[in-house]
Amino acid sequence: MTNKTTKGAVRLISALALAAGLGTSAMAEEITSIAILTPETGTDFGWNQQGIDGAKAAGDALGVEVIVAENLGYGDVRPTLRELSEEEPGLIIAHASGYNTAAPEIGTEAGVKVAIVDSPSALTEGAVVDYTASGHEGAYLAGVLAAKMTRSGTVGIVTSGEPPSWNSQSAAFAEGVKAANPDLVIRYAVIGPAAYSDAAGGKRVTESLIAAGADIIFGQGNGSSFGMLQAVETTPAADGGKVMFIDVIGDKTPIDKGYLLSSVLWNLTPVYEAMIEDIRADKFGTRNYDINLADGSVALLKSPQIPDDVWAEVMEVQDEIIAGSLVIEPKFDADSVHALVTGE
Amino acid sequence: MTLFTDTFLIALIAGIAASGVPLLLAGLGEQLSEKAGVLNVGIEGMMLGGAYLGFYIAWATESTALGFVGGIGGGILVASLMALFCVRMGLNQIVIGIALTLGAEGATALLHHVQFSRLYPRLPDVSTWRIPFLADIPIVGPALFDREPVVYLAIALVPILVYVYRRTHLGLALQAAGDKPAALDSAGQNVLVIRTFAVLSCGALVGLGGAFMSIVGAGVFVPFMTHGNGFIGIVLAMLARGRPLWVLLGAALFGACLSAATALQVAGVDIPTDVVQMLPFVAVMIVLLLAGRNAKLPAALGAAYVRGER
Repeated sequence: MTNKTTKGAVRLISALALAAGLGTSAMAEEITSIAILTPETGTDFGWNQQGIDGAKAAGDALGVEVIVAENLGYGDVRPTLRELSEEEPGLIIAHASGYNTAAPEIGTEAGVKVAIVDSPSALTEGAVVDYTASGHEGAYLAGVLAAKMTRSGTVGIVTSGEPPSWNSQSAAFAEGVKAANPDLVIRYAVIGPAAYSDAAGGKRVTESLIAAGADIIFGQGNGSSFGMLQAVETTPAADGGKVMFIDVIGDKTPIDKGYLLSSVLWNLTPVYEAMIEDIRADKFGTRNYDINLADGSVALLKSPQIPDDVWAEVMEVQDEIIAGSLVIEPKFDADSVHALVTGE
Repeated sequence: MTLFTDTFLIALIAGIAASGVPLLLAGLGEQLSEKAGVLNVGIEGMMLGGAYLGFYIAWATESTALGFVGGIGGGILVASLMALFCVRMGLNQIVIGIALTLGAEGATALLHHVQFSRLYPRLPDVSTWRIPFLADIPIVGPALFDREPVVYLAIALVPILVYVYRRTHLGLALQAAGDKPAALDSAGQNVLVIRTFAVLSCGALVGLGGAFMSIVGAGVFVPFMTHGNGFIGIVLAMLARGRPLWVLLGAALFGACLSAATALQVAGVDIPTDVVQMLPFVAVMIVLLLAGRNAKLPAALGAAYVRGER
C-alpha cells in the first residue's frame, strides 16, 4: 500500500513537473531577431539614428539579431513590412508615426508582433505595443535653461509637425521657460503638416522666429532640423549676437559650429530591451513604453556654451524631477501647446 | 515686445520668395512639358536630382553659380530618362513619372548617406543683387529687391516664356506637339524632337528650382527635402492651363499664404494649426480654379506619339 502510494505520488509529481515544463516552454517565447524600419537613414543625429542605435544596442545586450530597413521615406511601407515579415522576426519596430496604420495591419496579416509610435490606444495583447516616447522631462529642463540663457527675453519653438512626442516636448519646454521666468515671451511655429524632411521650410520658419526677437530656438524635426540649424548659424539675433539652438533626440555636437546650446537626448535602448524581455516573459502587449530622466533614457546635453552656474541650477531642477518632488505631466495634444504659447 | 517690427515683416515677405521660387520654376517647367503633350509626373524626382547635384557642386567647388549649373544638369539628367522612356519609347507617362520620382528619392538619399551623412556640410549665405532705388522701398525693398540672382531669373522667365509661346515658331511647334502632333508631323517637324526638347527644358527649370531649395532655401541637402514641391508645381501648371503669368501668381500666392500661416502662428492666434496650414493649398486652388475655368489643356496631353497611329 505504501509502495503503491509512493508510486502514485511519484507519477503525480512527474506528471505535474512535465505539465509545468511543457506549460513554461509554451509560454516563454524564444526571440532571435527583431527588425526596425525608419523613414530616413540612421545618420541624422536624431530620430532615425537613435532608433537604429537603440535597437542595435538592445539586440547586442540580449543576444538578438537586428534587421535594419532604413531610408524608407514617409509613404506606404506595406511591401517592406511584408518582406520583413517573411524573415520571421520576433518583433517589428515601425519607427515613424506614419507607419502606425500599416504596421499593425501587416503584423496581423503575417502574425508578427509590432511596436509603433504615437498610437497608445492601439495596444493589443500579444500583438501591438506603442512607445510614444516623450522627453518632456528633459524638454522642461531645456526650457529652464533657455529662460536663463536668453538675452532678448524671447525664445522660439519650431517643429516639423504636431505629433504627440513633439507636442509633449513643446508643452514641457514652454512650462520650463515660464517656471523659470514668467515674463518671457515664447513664439511657436510649425513648419507644415508632417514636414519632417523640409529643411528649407525649417530654415524659413526659424528665420521668421529670429526676426520676431527669439535668440534661443528649441527645434524639433528630423531632416528639417538641419535647416533650423542653418538659420541659426546664418542669422544674427536682434542684438547682433548669436542665436543658440536646442535640439532634440540626438547629439549634433560632431557637426556643431558653436551654436548648439543643448539637446534633449533620448536613449531608446531600455525601451527596446523591455519589449524583448516582455516577449520572452509572454507579457508583450500588456503595456506601452516611455522614457524618463530617472532611468537615464532621457538626458539634457551639456555643451561648452552653458556656463557652469547655469548648468548647476538646471541640474537642481533635474534632481527635483528625479526625486519626484517636481512632476512634469506630458501633454500630448496640440491644444495644450497652443494654450501655453500665446505669443505675447 | 511688438511683434510686427520691420525685421519681422521683411522676414515674412522674404519667405514668400524663398518658398515661391522653387514652385514657380517647377510650375513653369511642367507647363512647358505639358504644352508639348508630355504630362511630366516625374518633376519631383527631377527637383531632387537638381537639389542634390546643385548642392554637391556648390559645396565641392565653393561656387554657388556652378552649383546652380549643376542643379540644371541634375534636373536634365533625370529628365533625359523621362524623354527616353516616354517620348522615344512611348511608355506610360504617369507610371514612368512615378518611377522616376521614387528612383530619384532612393538614389539621392543613398548618395547623401555615402557623402554627407557624417558631416552634414552647410553652405554659407548666397550673395545677393541689390536693385537700386527699388531696394530702398521700406520693408518690401530689402525683402524682394535685394535677392539672389536666381530669384530675378525665375521671374524674368515668365515674360520670356509668354513671348516664346505667343510669338515664336518654337512656341507654335510646342503647342502643336501637344494639341495635334500628327499635324506637326505632316508639316515636316519632328514631334519627338520637340517633345524631347520640352521635357529636357522642363528638367532644367525644375532642377534649378531644386538647386534653389538646397543652396538658398536650406543651405544644406537632406533626403526627400523637396517635400512635394514638384507635385505642387504640377498642380500649379494644371490649374494655370498654359499661362506662365498664372503660374507666377499661383506660386506667389502659395508663398504668401505660407508666410501668413507662419505669421499667424508666431502671433499666437489660437486656431488649429491644421487649419492655418491648409491656407496655401485652399487659396491657390480657389483662385486658379476660378481663373482657369475657360482655359484648356493640350488635347494630346499624356498620349505617346507614334507616327502613323491614330
